[in-house]
Parts: sequence; structure tokens; C-alpha cells
Amino acid sequence: MSDHLLEVKDLRTTFRTVAGAVPAVGGVSFDLGSNETLGIVGESGSGKTVLARTIMGLQPRTNVEVTGSVLLNGHEVVGASERVMRSMWATEVAMVFQDPMTSLNPVMRIGRQIDETLRVRLGMDRRAAHARALELLTMVGIPSAASRYRAYPTELSGGMRQRVVIATALACSPKLLIADEPTTGLDVTIQAQILNLLDTLKQQFSMSVILITHDLGVVATRATRIIVMYAGQIAEMGDTRDIFYHHRMPYTRALLESSPKVSNASHTRLAVIAGRPPNLSTMPPGCAFAPRCAYATEQCHVERPTLREAAQPGHRFACWNPLPDSSEGTRP
Amino acid sequence: MTDERQPLLKVRDLTVNFTKGTHVVSAVADVSFDVYEGETLGLVGESGCGKSTTGKALMKIVEPTSGTVELDGVDITHQRGRALRHARTRMQMVFQDPISSLNPRRRVRGIVAEPLDAWKTVRGDERARLVDDLLNQVGIDPDVYGERYARQFSGGQCQRISIARALAMRPQLLICDEVVSALDVSVQAQILNLLEDLKAEYGLTLLFIAHDLAVVKNISDRVAVMYLGRICEIGPSDVLYQAPAHPYTKFLLGAALDADPDSVGTGAVLEGEPPSPLNPPSGCRFRSRCPFATERCAAEVPLAHEVAPGHQVACHFPFIAQ
Repeated sequence: MSDHLLEVKDLRTTFRTVAGAVPAVGGVSFDLGSNETLGIVGESGSGKTVLARTIMGLQPRTNVEVTGSVLLNGHEVVGASERVMRSMWATEVAMVFQDPMTSLNPVMRIGRQIDETLRVRLGMDRRAAHARALELLTMVGIPSAASRYRAYPTELSGGMRQRVVIATALACSPKLLIADEPTTGLDVTIQAQILNLLDTLKQQFSMSVILITHDLGVVATRATRIIVMYAGQIAEMGDTRDIFYHHRMPYTRALLESSPKVSNASHTRLAVIAGRPPNLSTMPPGCAFAPRCAYATEQCHVERPTLREAAQPGHRFACWNPLPDSSEGTRP
Repeated sequence: MTDERQPLLKVRDLTVNFTKGTHVVSAVADVSFDVYEGETLGLVGESGCGKSTTGKALMKIVEPTSGTVELDGVDITHQRGRALRHARTRMQMVFQDPISSLNPRRRVRGIVAEPLDAWKTVRGDERARLVDDLLNQVGIDPDVYGERYARQFSGGQCQRISIARALAMRPQLLICDEVVSALDVSVQAQILNLLEDLKAEYGLTLLFIAHDLAVVKNISDRVAVMYLGRICEIGPSDVLYQAPAHPYTKFLLGAALDADPDSVGTGAVLEGEPPSPLNPPSGCRFRSRCPFATERCAAEVPLAHEVAPGHQVACHFPFIAQ
């Protein structure tokens, strides 16, 4: 066994559709250490959610082809049977989805939904599970947990529901928590509460967190490392500061420059990425970003770049014609 | 500030209550503001604060319970029928979900021509030319896409088509309700830049309703912050973001996340959640979550007062920059 909690090697998830094969994740490799927060950033359709679901072993078996390897705490996920996956869910890895309403059973009291996990997975008896569920609800910051225990999901606000989902995910103290857009759809003040909660719980449960988001602001101060995805592939990965201040891949820069900032003066003209992400079923032969890239060369259009090392350890980017490495740091 | 300019839109004590049986939801309460010709006023707040209801009440999509809305000096609050329809040609609204705003089974040219056909202002070749001009303006090539159906477009393109439709009658005021919140960041930047360009081109005045503080900052000249149906603070955007005077604005800005690992947040996180508008707190509506609240905040509704030229705050104990 290695010292990595999670090792993903050349992972490919391909959907077979009537319109042809869609490589939603096209060859992704990365490691995740213990107690690390990894941010995965990308626009819609970049494959970040499919990647997360593949790591969780949640992809259906029909019409989906998964190749490569996902080693989670020494266990292979790719090709594992559902019985094997069930033994890993909740105790090894758990997931928090974007929409808390659809993750919860609307006709079941929230307390019972947490109890169920504890009793099925840890074999707790009714009384012990009840006590632990109350403890978890308090831990995730639900006021008057004893009375909320009997509430239905519809009786709670979006922020409170997401807290319940987090409590359910943490019920069996997983080593890895995958949070897929956990704060999208929540208000900024509630978003801050939930992100702070995740940080606290990460320490408390000494787990690793994969934080998937479209919002660079969410990962800027929370993640230790960041992976930027584009069209199912890793465009750039590295320590958070390397990604923000020493990025080499033009897509990373474009993404950073097109996000409006609170610190901008009003009427700041935003940099725009022309065009749209490619259709995954008809991917260009070269770099997926080349058709939209201002720096694309002839090579970019014909040959797909592989990840190469930048100056900093662990900082890799896939680009034939990268931005110059500015060691003093170009502030986006 | 004694602004010499005439406001294009003058809103006074706008109140919207939704009644169901004996329950009254106070969605918008005594909201007053002006929008001056050629400016962009941002209206920002969290979900349920009444910002969209305010926008809809201005268009009379929802009926205001009380208060007045004046467009270019004319009170439109009690207008009905043709007069109201005519007023609506001068103020148009673009909505959040671009895909459901368009009929998926109609062709793009038909959608954009709809307001022109309703008013029969232009016909024949002139109509066709105007429609194609509008589509070009918003970056949709009419020769390639004009005869396609709305369902064939992505969210960003649908939003462009919605904007073209809203501009067809050459309105003076465009109300944008969360127009970029459903879009990816790169597409969002395209639409924001487009709005800035169109504003310059058509001399538009914008009321930009959004929850995203960074987006609002980027596009607005002035910003109004709403909480639970009331305006807390209104002022020039640079001033308001730099030196917020209302505690809520301060917390809201503190929670905004900039895409920068070195960004210095205030670290202060607002506890709890907004109370229900079914039963808003007495006095200042923010007092139940405000760490600085006193007895006076529970007893008296704070009235908007100027703390600096053009910068108004509805708080008994505002932060005042020295």
C-alpha cells in the first residue's frame, strides 16, 4: 500500500450513446494524500461530476465503460462489484451532492435517514444510533437537534438540508468526503457557513476532502491543491497558489480573468473566452481548448498535449504553447 | 445628494404583500429608490429578500399593494389596459432562466419579432431588417441561426435572444433579473460585456437584480442592498463595497469569495438564517441576526438617512467612515 489515500490512474469514463461514444472523463490521473483538500474546478460539462461519481463507483454498468484504476485506501474501485462498493461507501468514502433536496428522502424524517446509515453500516442498535444521530446533527450546527430529528426535509431551509446531508455522509467517519458543488444554490452567507463547517469537520474527522465546484472563489482559500478540468481532461493541476499566480495553461488564465471580482472597480471589462466548450462526442484531435485559445499554434490543433511538469513540484499542465513562467507571479 | 439629474424611474414606498387566508407575506416593504437616466443600479440581496418581487412589481407583473412607480415623470402604478401596455414598451425585463423564457417550438426570428408584431410598428422588409439587426447586436448570426428553434440553443445563446427580444421596442429601462446566474463563468462574462455594450449603444438604463456581489459590483454605478423586503443601504458601488455602513452589507461582503487565495475576508460569518417574511421582526428586520442590535432596533423601524452624499443607510447605528 502506498501513502496516498486515493490514487487515480488514467481513468476514462465513456458513455455509449446513439450519437456515438462520449468520453466524459478522458484519461485523468492524480493522487490525494491524507487530510488534504483537493479542489476540482471546471465549467459545466467539463467532467468533474462524472469523475466524482466514477471515483465513488456510482456509474451504472450499462452503456458506460470505465477503464483505468481508482485505488481508494488500497481497494480497487474500477470493476468492483456493488457488494464490494457497498462495503466502502460511508466508511471509506462518502459524497455530498449539489441539491440537498434530491439527496434526502422527502417522506422520511431526517433523523431516521441518519439512523439508517448507522444501523446498516455499523450495526448499531436503535438506541445507540439515535444518540449518535443527535450528536451528528449537533455537530453540523443544527439548532435544537432533538426536535429537528423528527422534521421532514421539506420543513428545513436549503442550508439546513445541506447540513443534514453532511451529517449523513459523516455518520460512519469516512476517510474521504467528496463534496460536489455543496454550496451551489445557497446564499453567500449560508455558503460561508457550510464551507467553514466542512473545514472544521475535516479536522475533527481527520479526513480528506475533494471539493468540486465551478466557482474559483470557493476553492481559493479552502483547497491545498487544485485540478482545473476542461472537456473531460486535466488542463492544469498544482498547489493552489501555483494555479492562481503561476498558471501556465491559457485556459486557467482565461477562467480566472473572466470571473468578476468584488475588488474590481465597477465597469471593469471582463476578459472573455470566445466560443463554447467542444462537443465531447466530436472532440478535436489536438488540444480540446485550441479552438478557443488565443495562443494556439498549428501543433495545438493536431496533437493532443499531455501533462508536463512546471517549475514547482506537483504543478503540471497540458499545453504546447504555455504562458511564460513568471516566478514573481502574475496576479490575474 | 441633491442630484440634478431627473430620475427615469422613481419608486416610492413600494410595498408588496402576498395574502393567503389570514397569512400575510411581507415580500417588499416601503422600498424607495431612483434610477437615473443612463446609469446601472444594482439590486443585490439573498434569496427571499424581495429583489425579484421588486422587479416584477415595477413591471406590474405582480400588483403592488401600495406605493408609487413613476416612469419618466408619469405615475404608472394605477395604469391599466393600453396605457400600461404602452408603458411596458418603455421598460422591459429579462429573466433568470433563459431557456424557459423562450418558447422552444418557435423560431428565433419569430421570437424577436413578437413585440414588433404585437405593436405593429414595423412591417415587411423593415421588420425583417430590424429583427436581423437586433440579432446581430446580441451576437447571434441571423443568417445561420435565424430560422432555428429556441430549443436548439444553449443557455448563453438563449439569454442573448431574450435580450434581443427585450430590446425590440427600444425600451429606455431594462430590468435584468438574475440574467447571468444560470450561466458558466466564461459565458457570464460574455453576457455582462454584451449588456455594457448595448447600454452604450442604445443609451439604456439598467436595473440589474442579482445575488452575486462580484457581478453586481462589476456592472453597477450604484448598488442597493435588500434584506427581508427592505432596502438596507444604497450608494455608489465603489463606496458601498469599500466602506459599507449597514452591518448586513458588511457581513454580506465578508461572505463573498474572491477567486484569490490571498483575498482577505473579514472572517466574520453571519450566524443563522433570515427569518420568515410571514412574521418579520419588529423594528429593523435585520436585528434578529445583528450583533450590534439594541432595544431601539426592536422598537423603531430605521429610516433611510444619508451618511455621505448619495449614500443612504437604514440603520440606527451605521458604521461611519471617519
